[in-house]
Amino acid sequence: MRLTLALIALLCLGITSLFFGVSDISPLALLSGEADEKAVLVLLASRLPRTLALVLAGSGLAVCGTLMQMLARNRFVEPSTAGTVESASLGMLIALIISPNMPVMGKMAFAAGFALLGTALFLAILRRIPLRSVIMVPLVGLMLGGVIYSVAAFIAYRLNLMQSLAAFESGDFSSVLRGRYEILWLSLVMTIAAYVAADRFTLAGLGEEFATNLGLNYRRIMMLGLIIVSMVTACVVVTAGVIPFLGLIVPNVISMIMGDSLRRTLPWTAILGAGLVLACDIIGRIVVWPFEVPVGAVLGVLGSAFFLFLLFRRQSRAA
Amino acid sequence: MLLSTVRKFALSAALALGASQALAADITIRHAQGETKLAETPKKVVTFDLAALDTMDALGVPVAGVPKALMPDYLQKYVIGPVPKVGTLFEPDYEAIAELQPDLIIVTARSASKFKELSAIAPTVDLSVDGNDFLKQSEANIRTLAKVFNKESEANRLIEKLNSSTAELKQKTKNAGKGLLVLTTGGKMSTYGPGSRFGVLFSDYGMTPADATIKADNHGQPISYEYILEKNPDWLFVIDRDASIGNKGEAASKLLDNDIVRRTTAWQKGHVVYLDGLSLYVVGGGLTALQNTVDQLNTALAKP
Repeated sequence: MRLTLALIALLCLGITSLFFGVSDISPLALLSGEADEKAVLVLLASRLPRTLALVLAGSGLAVCGTLMQMLARNRFVEPSTAGTVESASLGMLIALIISPNMPVMGKMAFAAGFALLGTALFLAILRRIPLRSVIMVPLVGLMLGGVIYSVAAFIAYRLNLMQSLAAFESGDFSSVLRGRYEILWLSLVMTIAAYVAADRFTLAGLGEEFATNLGLNYRRIMMLGLIIVSMVTACVVVTAGVIPFLGLIVPNVISMIMGDSLRRTLPWTAILGAGLVLACDIIGRIVVWPFEVPVGAVLGVLGSAFFLFLLFRRQSRAA
Repeated sequence: MLLSTVRKFALSAALALGASQALAADITIRHAQGETKLAETPKKVVTFDLAALDTMDALGVPVAGVPKALMPDYLQKYVIGPVPKVGTLFEPDYEAIAELQPDLIIVTARSASKFKELSAIAPTVDLSVDGNDFLKQSEANIRTLAKVFNKESEANRLIEKLNSSTAELKQKTKNAGKGLLVLTTGGKMSTYGPGSRFGVLFSDYGMTPADATIKADNHGQPISYEYILEKNPDWLFVIDRDASIGNKGEAASKLLDNDIVRRTTAWQKGHVVYLDGLSLYVVGGGLTALQNTVDQLNTALAKP
């Protein structure tokens, strides 16, 4: 019931996103069939793809964040604090160097491959660290990300590609069009896969020994999680660029409210992730209309404020 | 005693005379960061300003040191030639400069913050121009350089040619309708209006902006394809940032060839002009670069 309400709210945001932009599209004219051809074109070729891309990217990244937090058993891990995003960017950069006009599937393969290696490296480092304090884990991830990014920056600097690197570093849906976002459907497939295997991820989150004792093939579920996270991150980086902290904010909010049974929480995580990205993108389109503020920037500001608010609220309640 | 007084007097008179002679030959260059006096025509010149390099090249003045940078074809000799490299557009290599013992160093916007450090090595001038009066300031810089290097008649001839081409261009832009300038990089787009770093297109060359509300921000305003369709320009001027800095990137034409942009007047009439980014973006206000840009626009706008 509550889930239905949340879905309706998401739908409203989606409709707002469809009808807000530089061109005027009147919903009434569309319904009565009086809309001119231009309005229909803008709606189908630009607004609808953009809205779908936002929903797919938002839900995918939020679910990714949850999975990574389960796999690393740490609340502060997400693609941008574990080297995943930086690895995907490095992969994109290398694809760009090998062949500037590589088809999107090729870029995607590079980004996903690198993301997979980078995230696996992160988890391997974690296993070797004796003291896994709560703060240590994301610190290791941030440092690893920093190292990988500096490799990318060094290559980009030598080849005069810094601007291109910066372009896919900043998440932005302004150039999403029909025919240029479809790769994100792959991210939906991955998100569904995460839901199907939700119970196993919940168990994996309890730790390797515990999960193995319960008869779970820990390594296999670990690998599945890695693949999902890498693919989704790569899809988003290829189409829109990096959207920071989404995978941190949404899973933590959901977990504060609902706990950690993924079977129950994942749909909420996906809806909240999609809604947050949609809302931030709409705001980015409003504030400097008719120009745009990248969604990554809006999310950085609003998201972190929102997260702080929740942290303080919880603390004052506990006190 | 008397003799020594006379000698002293003569000496000081001679000194005064010498000084006044030097003053007569003094060249004062007024620039963005004050005034710099030169005692004589500088022979060894290090320039971080590619516009100045371009102008000096056009006037046949030799250069002693240039930054390592991407340059248009006509300046390739400074990329692969024997002229020493003295750092990048942003970062001077102080040791290399000091070794050259230059008589004059020229900086511009990208290197303006290093003015103080470079002044310690040799007289330095800052020939930065801003978007507001780009053409006038660029011409003033060209005249300054011509004066410094005694090439005024040569410069006059070239400036006259440039001015007549510019006048011709202004005639064309008057009836060309509205124009929109889009810069593409890494698959994203931003637009630049009057007063921006590419504002010369509107303020000096007379193109009517398709959107007069674009803020004069040096980094442009991010836009969507929808924006281009809504402003529906008669002419679309495109700078492919990735191509202009020497990598192929996602070609701007591929980026713009989509359902939305295809509907614009500019696209349908074939009025999409891919500007020579190296002349406009990297070199800017040099004599040859300015002439190239105006020539390119004149050719493009000749199309019905």
